[in-house]
Amino acid sequence: MNTLMVEPASAPVRTDTLLELCGLTVEYGYGEKPVRAVDGIDLEIRQGEILGLAGESGCGKTTVANAVMQILRPPAHVVSGSVLFRGEDLVSKKTDELRRFRWRNVSMVFQSAMNALNPVMRVGDQFVDMMRAHERISKRRALAEAAEVLEFVGIERRRLRAYPHELSGGMRQRVIIAMALALKPELIIMDEPTTALDVVVQREILQQVEALKQNFGFAVLFITHDLSLLLEFADRIAIMYAGEIVESAPSADLAESPQHPYSQGLLESFPPLSGPRTRLTGILGAPPDLRDPPSGCRFHTRCPHCLPDQVELYRRQTTERPRLREAEPEHHVACHLVDGGGE
Amino acid sequence: MSQLEPTIELPLAAPPRRIGRGLRVPGWVVLLLQNRKSRLGLGMVAFMVIIAVIAPHISVAHPNDFDLYAARQAPSWNHLFGTTDQGSDIFSQVVMGARRSLLLGAAAGALATALAAILGITAAYVGGIVDEVINFLTNVFLTIPPIPLLVVVSGYLASRSMGTMVVVIAAVLWAFEARILRGQALTLKSRDFILAAKASGESTRRIVFGELMPNMISRIAAAFVLVFYIALLTDAGLEFLGLGDMTKTSWGVTLYWAQVNSTVLQGEWWPFFFPGAALAFTVLGLVLLLAGIDEVSNPKLRTERRQRRRLLSLFVPARGAARR
Amino acid sequence: MSATQLEVRDISKRFPIGNALRRSHVHAVDDVSFELRPGTITALVGESGSGKSTVARLLARLHVPSSGSVLFEGSDVARVKRRRDVLRYRSQVQIIFQDPFDSLNPVKTVRHHVERPLRIHHVVPRSQVRERALELLDTVGLVPVEEAAAKYPHELSGGQRQRVAIARALAVEPAIVLADEPTSMLDVSIRIGILNLMLKLKDERGLSFLYVTHDLASARYVADEILVMYAGQIVERGPVEQVLEAPLHPYTRLLLAAVPDPAKKLHTERIEVRKGHASAAIDPPEGCRFGKRCPLAIDVCTHVTPALVEARPGQSARCHVTAPQPATERN
Repeated sequence: MNTLMVEPASAPVRTDTLLELCGLTVEYGYGEKPVRAVDGIDLEIRQGEILGLAGESGCGKTTVANAVMQILRPPAHVVSGSVLFRGEDLVSKKTDELRRFRWRNVSMVFQSAMNALNPVMRVGDQFVDMMRAHERISKRRALAEAAEVLEFVGIERRRLRAYPHELSGGMRQRVIIAMALALKPELIIMDEPTTALDVVVQREILQQVEALKQNFGFAVLFITHDLSLLLEFADRIAIMYAGEIVESAPSADLAESPQHPYSQGLLESFPPLSGPRTRLTGILGAPPDLRDPPSGCRFHTRCPHCLPDQVELYRRQTTERPRLREAEPEHHVACHLVDGGGE
Repeated sequence: MSQLEPTIELPLAAPPRRIGRGLRVPGWVVLLLQNRKSRLGLGMVAFMVIIAVIAPHISVAHPNDFDLYAARQAPSWNHLFGTTDQGSDIFSQVVMGARRSLLLGAAAGALATALAAILGITAAYVGGIVDEVINFLTNVFLTIPPIPLLVVVSGYLASRSMGTMVVVIAAVLWAFEARILRGQALTLKSRDFILAAKASGESTRRIVFGELMPNMISRIAAAFVLVFYIALLTDAGLEFLGLGDMTKTSWGVTLYWAQVNSTVLQGEWWPFFFPGAALAFTVLGLVLLLAGIDEVSNPKLRTERRQRRRLLSLFVPARGAARR
Repeated sequence: MSATQLEVRDISKRFPIGNALRRSHVHAVDDVSFELRPGTITALVGESGSGKSTVARLLARLHVPSSGSVLFEGSDVARVKRRRDVLRYRSQVQIIFQDPFDSLNPVKTVRHHVERPLRIHHVVPRSQVRERALELLDTVGLVPVEEAAAKYPHELSGGQRQRVAIARALAVEPAIVLADEPTSMLDVSIRIGILNLMLKLKDERGLSFLYVTHDLASARYVADEILVMYAGQIVERGPVEQVLEAPLHPYTRLLLAAVPDPAKKLHTERIEVRKGHASAAIDPPEGCRFGKRCPLAIDVCTHVTPALVEARPGQSARCHVTAPQPATERN
């Protein structure tokens, strides 16, 4: 490879916890009736792994990403819990420290490149701006490094002189991935990075991300609604529903034996490309309005296993929130059906 | 914005809201009442309208009565706004004058807006030759300078009745709004729900009136308010120049006589001040209403609210809150 | 319902760009031909810009084709002008749009949306319109119907809005429904519900659908026939299982390899992709439009535009290598 790019010092891979969310709760709005977008979640990302965070619209996954980067916009604010990056709580950090932390240690790739790129500046200049905001570096060196990182994502260096609108959607997305990589962070958060792209481009980009990960050893928090994508690319997957994490497991385990009815339903919602063409049922109902979520287990209104005639179980399902428990090694589920004994 | 989030709420109209049980109020009315500027403006205009309506009951004398013994009196309890050179009561003139001025403004506004809406929206939706013809018409009317035209026309017209004035003013002002409404309609025309209506077999007329216009209510209301106050000012201006119907009572006519009789030079400020203040008050109300409509239509102008919230966040202690 | 057939013959749509001095054309749709048979679901698959939505809109008479014809019950409907004929066509062919948040008028109730087509086409006598509208809402699963009818679009979820759109399309009792990516903007867990509704309508009412999508998996789930589009042309077609199990055209193979398949538990082999995109070409020259990206490209591919050739029974592809023209010279 290129000698200018140096592997991060922590190259020998340890199974260290890089990022840990403990009981994180984020609300929108003050006083009267705030909306709990994220309700007491626990999550852990280890060094060098790809953790997928899957969920549908309104489940709070983007809020989680914003909370980690500490870019929550009022009226959203962290109510309780902590975001620990290598043991340090980000929630209590001052603005200055956060600025240094952002992009250097954790960077983010947004869904729409046009949200992240300045349309009236050339791509190269934006790189330079970003790099010079974080380290003392000359413009020429910054451009040189930018050119290198662009080549890593498969874009010719002459594109540095282009404006964002002159590039195709796939290229723009690659540019912002490159920008997220430029300072060699340890964690990259990707929020629906390929949703707006065609399937072929999507695969290209994800292959590239994997290759880069092998090269540089960063971890990825990959947020998407496309669970089938995560089954292929992620090492571990956490499933969010209505602001809570309902299940988390290594991808292979989740694909083989999903425990939570929502995960099961979600997996059922992806028609297969091979094998018999059977009728699928999906999941009845719709994701809840977080202003007024169901009591007890938030999924109970749509759960095929929530039946009033199972009185005791039903009572628990409608009044108690299930807690995330380790059902099998590395496999956590928040479901009354699971911790009550028996699958 | 994730693929699964809705497209941006159309700012030109708001869906109806429910008040209490079942009562449905058009969404934009609710928004208008919530906005401070438009609330104030609406209040001011409503006040004027009420005055105009009860004018015959509150004016002490016929506005044209003159009483030379009472001429040139400063405002007093007998004559709240004083009297003119001829002894006419200015208060009566102002409140009775409100009727004509407001009626004329509203009528001109309504006519111009109707023309602008129908022609502009149809041109946008139908396109083709119809669009070209209407555009041409619009351009012709736009290039005509309004004030000189009005001066010339009123100079030549035999009758200067209200009807004529309304038509003349509307004819001069419709083109400006037609262009704006056409532009707005163009952005709506390719929206899926319009295409869906077309695919259902809706006729052009129904689409223009039933699907497009209801989604442009706030812009049409804004057009009406704009033409209303320009008509008010234009009409007062013409009358001030002596080109209106001098036999009728209106603010402009009162101002005209005030000017002709050089009252200010004689230290009599009241014949000028009161009709002028009434005019200014009404126009201000309309302008505030317009500003409110604009704010309601364009979320980006709602800075006021955002700033208030930031101030609030300084005082509300948020446990463990992150600072940006 | 009488057996109806929609035949699309060599339809093209070109959009001019540039100004009067330097005018070029975007070939959004180029020489597309296919048939829709009653009681079948035909999937039209392609990536963004491939022209699939334009085809649907052409069939819905929202665009006028630059050339070619759309034969419905034997006559060309693409260019009829008389309102009566147009209405007759619209009562048989309806369309559902992709964006559930945009395809409903925000200031009108659900009832309005469903009743309007009933009234325009006089599907039932006036006295029965209200009742029929409620029946339609029941068919699409929007219950309780009275409550749903009184709601405004912003009070409904994405899936519910799409059901309203379907109810609206069904109101005229059409023979064919053009569904332009009806589920791509919906949450994953409700997509299946909408797809199942389509299957139910096909089974119970003998409706045929043109299902436009970029998602191969859902195409496999609902469709009988599949048409694959690339840069405005159809590059492969055939029964859906056959095409997906043994694709002929290199682009179809590429698509298949790129789609995430939940059944594949191990990481798939890397696919090699060359630069290029599926969107419509501007003033395309002769030759295969996929040529630059094709791993099988041979010399003739850059000089001669391949024709759609039936290489296997029922399955055709537009490729010199996998579906070569038989020995006789092309016209």
